[in-house]
Amino acid sequence: MSNQPVLELKNVTMQFGGVKALNQVNLQVNKGEICALIGPNGAGKTTVFNVVTGVYVPTDGEILFNGKSLKGKNRHKITKMGIARTFQNVRLFGEMTSLENVITATDVHNKSGLVGSILNTPRSRREEKAGREKAHEILKFMGIDHRSDQLAKNLPYGDQRRLEIARALGTSPEIVLLDEPAAGFNPSEKKSLAELIVKIRDRGYTVLLIEHDMSLIMGISDRVAVLDFGEKIADDLPSVVQNNPKVIEAYLGVPADAS
Amino acid sequence: MPFNLRDTGATLWANSNKWQRYLIAGVIIVGAFALPLLEGTFLNTPRTPFVSVLFYPIGVYVLMALGLNVVVGKSGLLDLGYVAFYAVGAYTAGILSMHTKLNTWEILPVGIALAMLSGFVLGAAVLRLRGDYLAIVTLGFGEIIRITALNSSAVGGANGISNIPNPPTTFGFTFDLESDRNYYWVVLILIIITILIIRGLSARRPGRAWESIRQDEDVAELMGVNTYKYKLWAFVFGASVGGAAGVLFASKAMFIAPNIFNYNISILILAFVVFGGMGNIWGVVFGAVLLSYIPERIRFISEARMLIFGLVLIIMMNLRPDGLLPRKKREKIGIAGGEIK
Amino acid sequence: MDFSVLTDQFASLTFDGIALGFIYVLIALGYTMVYGVLRLINFANSEVFMLGSFATILVATKLFNHTIESDPLTGFKLVYTMTAMLVGAMIVSGVASVIIEIVAYRRLRSRTSNRLTSLISAIGVSIVLAEAVRMATSSAPMGSPRLLDKTILATVWGADIRVDTLLVIVFAIILLIVLDLFVNKSRLGMGIRAVSMDYDTSRLMGINLNKIISTTFLIGGLGTGAASFFYITVYEMTRFSIGFELGLAAFTAAVLGGIGNIRGAFAGGIALGLIEMYASAVLGTQWRSITAFVILILVLLFKPNGIFGESLQQARV
Ligand SMILES: Nc1ncnc2c1ncn2[C@@H]1O[C@H](COP(=O)(O)OP(=O)(O)OP(=O)(O)O)[C@@H](O)[C@H]1O
Ligand SMILES: [Mg+2]
Repeated sequence: MSNQPVLELKNVTMQFGGVKALNQVNLQVNKGEICALIGPNGAGKTTVFNVVTGVYVPTDGEILFNGKSLKGKNRHKITKMGIARTFQNVRLFGEMTSLENVITATDVHNKSGLVGSILNTPRSRREEKAGREKAHEILKFMGIDHRSDQLAKNLPYGDQRRLEIARALGTSPEIVLLDEPAAGFNPSEKKSLAELIVKIRDRGYTVLLIEHDMSLIMGISDRVAVLDFGEKIADDLPSVVQNNPKVIEAYLGVPADAS
Repeated sequence: MPFNLRDTGATLWANSNKWQRYLIAGVIIVGAFALPLLEGTFLNTPRTPFVSVLFYPIGVYVLMALGLNVVVGKSGLLDLGYVAFYAVGAYTAGILSMHTKLNTWEILPVGIALAMLSGFVLGAAVLRLRGDYLAIVTLGFGEIIRITALNSSAVGGANGISNIPNPPTTFGFTFDLESDRNYYWVVLILIIITILIIRGLSARRPGRAWESIRQDEDVAELMGVNTYKYKLWAFVFGASVGGAAGVLFASKAMFIAPNIFNYNISILILAFVVFGGMGNIWGVVFGAVLLSYIPERIRFISEARMLIFGLVLIIMMNLRPDGLLPRKKREKIGIAGGEIK
Repeated sequence: MDFSVLTDQFASLTFDGIALGFIYVLIALGYTMVYGVLRLINFANSEVFMLGSFATILVATKLFNHTIESDPLTGFKLVYTMTAMLVGAMIVSGVASVIIEIVAYRRLRSRTSNRLTSLISAIGVSIVLAEAVRMATSSAPMGSPRLLDKTILATVWGADIRVDTLLVIVFAIILLIVLDLFVNKSRLGMGIRAVSMDYDTSRLMGINLNKIISTTFLIGGLGTGAASFFYITVYEMTRFSIGFELGLAAFTAAVLGGIGNIRGAFAGGIALGLIEMYASAVLGTQWRSITAFVILILVLLFKPNGIFGESLQQARV
């Protein structure tokens, strides 16, 4: 693991009316690591994802991806640059098959558009074939290739969560942002998902992970950043963060939430 | 399992090999070309010759429904001013035939291009808005086009343009008042080309992009789909088809006036799309054929046509929002109904 | 283009524009309040207006047996006839609006189906109502007896202040004040505001959504009905397509002011009424019907949130 930053948030503030969802947050995610982002409900974790992926324009501060500012970039451009995400509430294209969900994501790097598709040019044919193969490969990697021809909305919940990750990987990202991918999982499902996340990292993707389950986090993260009321209160090795009094305080009285 | 035409057809297609597919397609196409033979059967229409009805309203409306389907059905963009593109096509034919010697076939690409251009300008301006607003703005655009034509003496004002020439005799096929069949064949050829193009698009990247936009635009954008660009393409493509229909209509009718191109036409076409099944080519063709034929066949329905189409919209949306032949419900079938190898 | 018209008749155009503007404001309520709670363009509201306009005339001709040739009324008779017309229009429009919600929207809403379906359903309702009336009236316009003599009360800067236009302005203001009080002070009104602000939370909090939504449609319908009465009082004529013509202008007014916002509808309506009057004076009345559309497109392009409105572009991720 290097210290080469892939994603950097510099003094990022995100204000909604009177609410400061993020307040001067600095965060650095290094190449090839699994960085966990934790914090009580409403701490601003999802908001971090939203400002990074261009859903919201931060009120203040700067976000760098491989040293380049993301300021003013369209959402689809950001995705194309190499940042992909999943959603806290599963948001698949329910009326597409699993395979189509992933192929749609692989399209981001394709060149052929309307005209190529109408004329069915060799390039379009090549890209269609490559997309299909790549999608199958990702589905296999995620362990849901047997679902490839089923409509996403008909998948069991756990597989929907996996499909969300598969779709994100379909965009060939450098970094994937996973928003509570194990929400609603039982312990054994959580364990296999944790293994999967490690496998994702080992494939060369950088991972930024939001999760509530501490044991999952502690087991697989290289580093843990903690948000509380929009401020980063800790950022260190899992074992260090675990014993940080501020973190303990932030979580005290907050019921251990598995949602 | 209840019988479902869409599924039966899709299964048949999915289980056929390449040659069987050519055979099925061939039979459908030959059958469509042979429809004028049904003149004089129980299908006859009382007021207008059957073959003429095959061209207009049926053929022209099927064509337009296919175009609107890409916008509304595939991409989920509610366009209530689709008539504007039809009008642009028809007025291109009218104006060019007044001032130039171009014949219908030469005008056709110009009409299509101008319709696309207006689709592009309108789309570029309004497609950043979300859903509902698009509906109202497109409706307004349709009215702006109509009222501008109504008040512009250069295009005949309320009197419109008459004496638009019929197409020239081509490959031995004549186009005059007697040649309903040939007009029908021309529109049929355009319909087939449009279907082929839409099928090609649907099964490939643009089809997925549209589908993802229809289902969840925000997520589509975050998965790397350039939603604005693809929405614009849907709009422009729909416009091109409407423009083609307009040129063809004008060259057969020989006369156009602003009030032919009113809001009701947009609603009519929308009803066809909704009735047959948003997003599904065959559903849309079926809906357009049925709903444009019935008022011609049954006299008293003709007067209450719009009322019935309004009811179709309400009933379909409440009871069967996916239409009579819904888009893919089955799994294991690609978006266009078959994998393209 | 003739700008001298504008300067010569500025005062009278302004006065007429304000009166027209108030009519738009009242119709705009039917759009803006519904949009507030359901985030849905209530397409059929234009037909609620159309029905109200016919109801106004029918009360006069069928209930009180006045004809087109009837002489203007005076005194108490005038007051109660006009009141009956107003109430008749409001009842018809209010009831129609509530029924429309039940027939066209409720079922779709409970299924949380996508917005396209509700929108298309609403368009269907609008078409059905307009067509039913078209067939019933054989497309003929229906004139109203002139029960209120259009006396000129005063002349200000060359503008005739007519009693009917003044009546529109005064009563519209009263209605709007009552409505504003209702929404801001009454329990039901607060329910409406709560649902407008956060539909999902309100549902969780146990607010009876169907009741709130019906009330919203009722108020929108009542406002629209009042508008049709005022419209008939000033313009004395209606036909099946009146909804299409005025309804969309009123919708524009709602957007102009920021849809979902009652005070916005007020500003937008008046602004649109004035712009339309000035524009048709300068460009000619044949262009009047598209003034609203052009403005609508411009507003949505350059100031999509309207003058006071909510953000239309709010991301929902
Ligand atoms: N679009 C928005 N408008 C207004 N406030 C918002 C918006 N998005 C987030 N917030 C507020 O910002 C704060 C942080 O929200 P965020 O969703 O980032 O929390 P979170 O850490 O992801 O919580 P959870 O664990 O519940 O998912 C919350 O108070 C939330 O209400
Ligand atoms: Mg969150």
